[in-house]
Amino acid sequence: MRSPLRDRIARTVAAFGLALAALLPAATIVHAKDILTLRVGTVEALDSLNPFETALNVGYEVFTLNYDLLVNFGPNNDPVPGFADSWTQSADQLSWTFHIRDGMKWSDGQPATSADVVYTYNLELQGTKNGGVVGLGYLDPYLKDSFVTAVSAPDPSHVVITTSRPTSKLTHSYIPIVPQHIWKNVTPANINDFLNNPPVVGTGPYQVVESTSQYVRLTRNRYYWGKQGAEDEIVIQYYPSAPDTMVAAFKNNELDYIHSPSAESFNQLKTAPNTVALASEGNGFTQLNYNTYTKGGGASTTALQDPLFRQALGYAIDKPTLIQKVLLGYGTPGSTQVPPWEKAWHTEPNDLRTFDIAKSNSLLDAAGYPRGADGTRVDKQGKPINLRLYTPNTDPSYAKDAQFIQDWFGQVGIKVSAQVLDEGTLVTDEALDTTKPIKTQLDYDMVIWGWVGDPDPNALLQILLTSSIGSTSDSQWSDPQYDALYDQQNEAATDAERKMYMDQMQQIFYDAAPYDILYYDNNLDAYHTDKFAGWQNQPVQGGAPFFQDGSINYTLLTDATLATPAPSVTANPAPQSSGGTVAPAPSVAPAPVPTDTGSSGSPLPLIVGIIAIAILLVGFIGLTRRRRAAAEDDE
Amino acid sequence: MTAPMPAPALPEQRVRNERLRLRLQAIRTFGRRFASRPDGVIGIVVLLIFTLLAIAPDLFVGPLQTATTASGPSLSPPTAANLLGTDELGRDILNLTIHGTRISMVIGFLATIVTIFLGALVGIVSGYVGGRLDTILMRITDFFLVLPTFVLALILAPIILDLVGANSEFFGIRVTLLVIVFVIGVTSWASTARIIRSQALSVKELAFVGRARVIGSGPGHIMWRHILPNVMNLIVANTVLVFGGSILTETTLSFIGLGDPFAPSWGQVLNAAESAGAMGLGAWWYVVPPSVCIVLVVLAFTLVGSALDDVLNPRLRVRR
Amino acid sequence: MGGRYFIRKVAGACLTIFMIVILNFVLFRMMPGSPDRILLRNPNVTADSMAAARARWGLDKPLIPDQLVDYLQATAAGDLGFSFKFHGEDVTDVLADRIWPTVILFGLGEILAIIFGLALGAYSGWRRGGPIDYIGNGISLILYSMPYFVIGILILGVFAIGLHWFPTSGMLTIGGGDGTFGGQLTDFLAHLALPVTTVAIGLIGQYSILMRSSVIETLGEDYVTTARGKGLTSARILRSHALPNALLPAVTLIAINLGYVIGGAITVEVVFNWPGLGTLTVTALEARDYPVLQGIFLLLSVSVVLANLIADLIYGRLDPRVRS
Repeated sequence: MRSPLRDRIARTVAAFGLALAALLPAATIVHAKDILTLRVGTVEALDSLNPFETALNVGYEVFTLNYDLLVNFGPNNDPVPGFADSWTQSADQLSWTFHIRDGMKWSDGQPATSADVVYTYNLELQGTKNGGVVGLGYLDPYLKDSFVTAVSAPDPSHVVITTSRPTSKLTHSYIPIVPQHIWKNVTPANINDFLNNPPVVGTGPYQVVESTSQYVRLTRNRYYWGKQGAEDEIVIQYYPSAPDTMVAAFKNNELDYIHSPSAESFNQLKTAPNTVALASEGNGFTQLNYNTYTKGGGASTTALQDPLFRQALGYAIDKPTLIQKVLLGYGTPGSTQVPPWEKAWHTEPNDLRTFDIAKSNSLLDAAGYPRGADGTRVDKQGKPINLRLYTPNTDPSYAKDAQFIQDWFGQVGIKVSAQVLDEGTLVTDEALDTTKPIKTQLDYDMVIWGWVGDPDPNALLQILLTSSIGSTSDSQWSDPQYDALYDQQNEAATDAERKMYMDQMQQIFYDAAPYDILYYDNNLDAYHTDKFAGWQNQPVQGGAPFFQDGSINYTLLTDATLATPAPSVTANPAPQSSGGTVAPAPSVAPAPVPTDTGSSGSPLPLIVGIIAIAILLVGFIGLTRRRRAAAEDDE
Repeated sequence: MTAPMPAPALPEQRVRNERLRLRLQAIRTFGRRFASRPDGVIGIVVLLIFTLLAIAPDLFVGPLQTATTASGPSLSPPTAANLLGTDELGRDILNLTIHGTRISMVIGFLATIVTIFLGALVGIVSGYVGGRLDTILMRITDFFLVLPTFVLALILAPIILDLVGANSEFFGIRVTLLVIVFVIGVTSWASTARIIRSQALSVKELAFVGRARVIGSGPGHIMWRHILPNVMNLIVANTVLVFGGSILTETTLSFIGLGDPFAPSWGQVLNAAESAGAMGLGAWWYVVPPSVCIVLVVLAFTLVGSALDDVLNPRLRVRR
Repeated sequence: MGGRYFIRKVAGACLTIFMIVILNFVLFRMMPGSPDRILLRNPNVTADSMAAARARWGLDKPLIPDQLVDYLQATAAGDLGFSFKFHGEDVTDVLADRIWPTVILFGLGEILAIIFGLALGAYSGWRRGGPIDYIGNGISLILYSMPYFVIGILILGVFAIGLHWFPTSGMLTIGGGDGTFGGQLTDFLAHLALPVTTVAIGLIGQYSILMRSSVIETLGEDYVTTARGKGLTSARILRSHALPNALLPAVTLIAINLGYVIGGAITVEVVFNWPGLGTLTVTALEARDYPVLQGIFLLLSVSVVLANLIADLIYGRLDPRVRS
């Protein structure tokens, strides 16, 4: 007897299987067997290949591989040749001349000249005129803070930039130099729609050839002017919301390098074979900030506006315990808003607060906040002090910090109720909208959150300006003296002068304590040493190889499996700025055949999928028809 | 004249006494029938144990451990001191699991009340009243049925929390938990409504309902006194199943990140385990206890629910 | 099939879809924290850049009617807008990238669950009271009580992390395979194995229980005794009566399942880092990427409506009572 159901099911499964096979990704990568791939894992997913449109660390990592900055970041974040190979400042310090490397080419073979610099910088200058922004606006401050007035190219090898004030910031600028011949139709008005699809053209060591929702793949730039690493390809894979899976992949040797595993996994990796687990100083901090707004809002008590109150509470925070228990030791106790990572700028303040419950109690008494009948302190209006502590749901360590703080503040008579909020809600809570009535806004007391800074300390200093209220200010703190000092340090003529002002700013901040910096988080990275060698850190002392500033360490890797380290691959011998033209040498590594580009899927998979589903339906209908026929047979 | 004889019990009194006697008899029969189903009995026992744990967790393991009162070293496997090991902050997993019982059960319980209340209300009204009201209500119900409940829950949670805002507690229950209750209720009532409605439709056709209408009883009265008692069996069976389903949904929502680290449910403990990388570290003791509890409780509800369903709604069986 | 029935069902589906579109808009705009605000966590942002972002995304126009009308017009034209998070990309592109991994995962998982579930249920029902029945029933019940992600975590822990038999995450090994089609297919299947098993295990219980009751019910029917008397074998009875009896409810079960399965999609995809709609939902939610979220919501709801419509139509075709 036939078994119609079995037939049908078999046929349907076969049809589905065929559809399955057809749905495989279109990227049929043809690989030569000896391509060396560096596989990197991170927890962020790339948001855009357009450097002006990315807000994430991973986006910066990708564009510093694709492009050169005018001046790159060296091993210690010192200025090293990038697009320009040398530079001088004029005697009056108001103009800079950059020499563009001779014979340099874009990755598509076109000559790279000063015209490209002028194009890129003018894009920024035009876009930021009259308060405009270029793209997301994250790269704008690099020119604005440098007081640039004009950019010009007297000849293809030289760029002259004039500034209205003496500044050294031009050699620390994150603006990548983009090719005019590719970007020529991009204006500040339409830059948001420019996707910069692969293959990306730049002068950096590696270029993006493929970008999907899971990873981005870069290959050697055959026309690169400098040293390239041993790797022929770099693949950066994303593990958003799944750091555990990333660590598992690393242990399984599916990844060579991972950034930001959890502290617990990190500890385990320290003892894994052929693995280096690196905890390095981070350029950022985690803070407890108070709602210090003096002109209304939803703060539950006026005590929050009193710096003596906030200082007293600072003595009730045991930072070393937080670091030990929550970060498993991977951090340093916090003090000022300039992290110690900024070795040239960080200054420990006077009167450092330590964990001393007795002192906290006495300071609170002295400041006029006596304990009530039930032990809870009351504020100057007689209201018991009951503070709400909000933390965003983006990082589980914040909630753990909150549990400790709740307990310690309870010991000094301040009741704390803690709650985890969705990031969007919290951001709205903290951002003052001056077009709306103040009464319903700023409905919070304390928040635990964090910031990550730039190579230049301005980024973190400016969060506390009065002008940041309504955008980046967590605390709504306002101090005119601090604001004035900010402008002074920004316009300072020498580093020494700048440091003087910055020291004052740090002390003012520490004394007023609108934020209590809990700790400076470490960066956690791990990498295998059996496939690649030559790992360098940035900064050399106490830094990490990747996800710092710039891409220099990618170019220093060597192949660990070779008996003697191979000479690092050079596409072109680096021409000296004084020399004439140097004929570019042919590239050494076999370049993989560039395949399909773009990140969007074709409609073919959808069509085939619909056909497969239709087959299934037909199968079912036909089958049930048979049932009726069969049933009739039996009646 | 002699003293008046005591009046014979009034007819209503006699009816009420009779009704009471019949009800007690029905309960006894039900009890006997239910007791003959071993799966149902096991389920009830398990649920009783968990309910006990949920009512007074402090009696069994003391107060909920926080970061500051953590009793052991970080991520240690089960030892004599910590029978189920510790988490990354050093808190005892047994302690967290038992306290999690209370959170999970309370959320499940409240969510079930919301779901059943809404579902039964809409189902009975829609089924009995019929006509245009029925069409509109069913259209709305269908609408809720097709909404991707999970995505909807993820979206509603921050909205509601933002609306309700500042207060941290209502009647001793944290607002974040109440938000989850609301979200589960809103997304689950529709299937209950459908089930109750079909039953109400058939009850509506029964003779005594027609008679009640003839003697002039209002629709509210009929629904309350006639329809409701006759769908009660279905409601009860459905309630139990919904309770189990609510706990599953709450667990999944907490795992995704809607849970409250300050009042951890089982799902929240699993979320914390995932963030700490428990599986990769081999910390099975972090993952297994909450998972086992979830499975046991949901399984118990399923067993009890299907046993109840069989006992209360017997299907005609063909004798062989 | 009655024309009136058909029209009624289709009209109902259209109305539901319209209601979904409106709800879609309202819901996401009510979410606190607009996407320009989310950008605030970069210290270089200024009030100007935020205002520019708001203007560019049309968030500065009044909600009703301007934004609502824009949205309705665009959706009717099939334009789902541009993603906020993946700056500049079409929402349709972002979704298209992620749809078929989810479809494969759940389509295949559902099919496996049906095949094995029906087989298991049939065997259990046939040998009712036997050891397979009890064990099978017990296992089905237990699996039914487990959240998907717990199954996923356990499977991941045992087979990928513990035994190293399968890769731990993602869909493909980049630069992996040997470049041939066969190599790529093997790689894909290796990555697919664990997540698809998780989904299938989660779904198998319902089908097995369904089939089992159907078989038991069928075996109790009078005509089966008659059929046996006529000389038909048990296998034939099973196939021509019990199985079709179960298939009809199974069809509706699939349609109902679609809604819940999608909920499970998010967790399974997160556990295995499978690049489908589930992980996209979580990412978009964090970034308040309204257009993408609206697109996902619309896609999922419309799929469920269509699935229910198809199930209704199939039912209507086969069961004359329903049509009246």
